[in-house]
Amino acid sequence: MIKVLLFGAAADRAGTREIELPVEEGVTLAEIWPLLAEMHPDLAPMRDTLAFAVNGEYARKDAGVSPGDEVAVLPPVSGG
Amino acid sequence: MFTIVEKPLDVGALIQDAQRRDCGAIATFVGTTRIDESEGAAVEYLEYEAYRPMADRKLEEIGAEIEGRWDVRYVSIVHRLGRVDPGEASVAIVVAAPRRGPAFEASRYAIERIKEVVPIWKREVWSDGYVWVGSQVGTRDQVTGVRTFRGMDSGQRIPWRALR
Repeated sequence: MIKVLLFGAAADRAGTREIELPVEEGVTLAEIWPLLAEMHPDLAPMRDTLAFAVNGEYARKDAGVSPGDEVAVLPPVSGG
Repeated sequence: MFTIVEKPLDVGALIQDAQRRDCGAIATFVGTTRIDESEGAAVEYLEYEAYRPMADRKLEEIGAEIEGRWDVRYVSIVHRLGRVDPGEASVAIVVAAPRRGPAFEASRYAIERIKEVVPIWKREVWSDGYVWVGSQVGTRDQVTGVRTFRGMDSGQRIPWRALR
């Protein structure tokens, strides 16, 4: 399992802040996204605006994810 | 000091903490909540949330970037979360340096970087709904209108495609 955290508008659209997802060793973020979008279709239109983090650091689309990792779905940041 | 708090910022105390005998300048940037109005509706307050501890760590990284670029002797960034009422401070940046040039430049750099890389989000709560700034997602009827794009002109987006 991995823990997927959602923030801001992404949490709003998904209607949840945390999703547990069963994944196999070596799956990439690019492969996880369709699973999330299928579970929460309202997330799908946000895809091109989102960044992702794995274990608290920005990660590229081809980054691998392992069971136990924490993935974060990050809408465009708007601090300040 | 790089920190995230859920209470009002004491800007005076933050400036006092920056005073040093080897510095001739303290530059301070304070971001405050602005009230926008349109067609009979107004922003009532802003609400901030963060991905912690990543956001805390990104603030520290900005501090390290500044110390690598400018001759500064003290950098402090404090960001507030939760409800922030109109005119209140949401972020305070204090930089002390021997000379004013680096102090001004470093404080400007800090706020621009916060808007680029620190995982903090704000929601405008209007009298008729809310809008996530930068995402244009919310409950207002006119959420697709131009006025809800206010957060998108500051270059803070890190799109998925840019990370590919």
